[in-house]
Amino acid sequence: MLIYFYIGQEYGNSVEALREFSFGTVCLRLVLATLCGGLIGYGRTKKNRAAGLRTYMLTSAGAALAVLISLYEFSMLEGPWASVVAEVGQRYDVSRVAAQVISGISFLAAGSIISVAHRQVYGLTTATGLFASVCMGIAAGAGFYECVAAAVFFIAFALEGTTNLDLLFKRSTRNITMAVEFDDITHIDAITKVIEEHADSIHSIDIEHSESGNGKHSSVIYTVRMKKHQTSHSHILSYVAELPWVYSVEEVIA
Amino acid sequence: MLPIFNGLRDINMWTVLFRMVVAFICGSVIGIERTYSNKPAGFRTHILVTIGATIASMTGMYLYLVLKLPTDISRMGTQVIAGLGFIGTGTIIVTREKTVSGLTTAAGLWVAGIIGLAIGAGFYEGAIITFLITLFVETTVSELGRFITKPGRLKIALSYYYRHDLGQVMSYLKEKQINIVNLQITGNNEDIEGKFYSVLMTLNPRHPVDENELVTALSSMDGIISAGKLDK
Repeated sequence: MLIYFYIGQEYGNSVEALREFSFGTVCLRLVLATLCGGLIGYGRTKKNRAAGLRTYMLTSAGAALAVLISLYEFSMLEGPWASVVAEVGQRYDVSRVAAQVISGISFLAAGSIISVAHRQVYGLTTATGLFASVCMGIAAGAGFYECVAAAVFFIAFALEGTTNLDLLFKRSTRNITMAVEFDDITHIDAITKVIEEHADSIHSIDIEHSESGNGKHSSVIYTVRMKKHQTSHSHILSYVAELPWVYSVEEVIA
Repeated sequence: MLPIFNGLRDINMWTVLFRMVVAFICGSVIGIERTYSNKPAGFRTHILVTIGATIASMTGMYLYLVLKLPTDISRMGTQVIAGLGFIGTGTIIVTREKTVSGLTTAAGLWVAGIIGLAIGAGFYEGAIITFLITLFVETTVSELGRFITKPGRLKIALSYYYRHDLGQVMSYLKEKQINIVNLQITGNNEDIEGKFYSVLMTLNPRHPVDENELVTALSSMDGIISAGKLDK
């Protein structure tokens, strides 16, 4: 009990010391932000994504530095520049710099989102992962250590641990998007009829004409809601694929 | 904070010059590394970014500390962070293989800007530590990154006459521990010798593979008309 009390008090004291603004804590927070960014970014590099170890480490460190700048300025206004503050008035907002970090990194991350054929969008996880990791960097810069510890765990888990779960959800959803490629646009009625028979409803039909290699091709993207007890996506795909005019059917998974 | 810098924390002729010089040096050193790696934003870009950020940061302080105008000293500099986000986005490009390139450059430029802000604010300690971290990450960690990255995906196109010919391809890929991510089979092709199938597959190898060797191995199989590697 006594030992517990001692450790508890010691913990309290040391953590309180880490919340002060000093050279030591500045070093600690910047290094902490870099390391935590690295922990999150490690898996992304391993998966060969656009934003990897370096990007995560750099942006987290930058976010921590931004918060530390405003803490520094505040400490200067409290100390050496107190006379100016007394004369002109207190006009300082400590959270302003960090607030811009959030919008800045969002712009940056937006550049990594790309849209490819068949209405698919890539890079959303890259962008949002970077955003979350930078917010963690802000917490590290502010000396909010408890939040950093939890954030690293949860962000890394969301990025690494939920991949299979995500795929599972995507495969078992009743909404399915498929790209059908066939010879002539006049056959669209017949194809739509087949899909209608096997599906609950068709949400949208998006026609994109494409000319390729040997002559004319039509390609259409159907967004379909499947019947209630129909679990397999390949079921409906195979019906469409069996039609004589259809070259290929592809399920579009975002 | 370190007492050596105490004489350099106010805004006057000398500190303005000193901060500019520090910003110039920090920007150029980070930029030189980028130029050496032959990346789009190099030496000059980084210098301009850090100096610009330093100026913005100092001007905000000047308005309040010297002119004694009622303003928030950080407001001016702060917008640099959002602004550099815009510039960074401009350096990101989408390649023909539908991948994104330039994100690390954009992130580096963004951090260089924040370092510039810290220098302009007179927060030399934070600026220098972050500068060292940036150098460490840009040099050492990028080597590490190359080491842990798994081999990328590749796309292979195949064509063959009979349905069962695909089986040997599958068992070959399984043996080599190459996962198939996506498979697209087209059946209604025809040439002089009759109907043939063509396949487009996206592969995700578990270990690095020699792409040319893989293509040669596939195209030399019985029944395979042709095999080729596509640009991603």
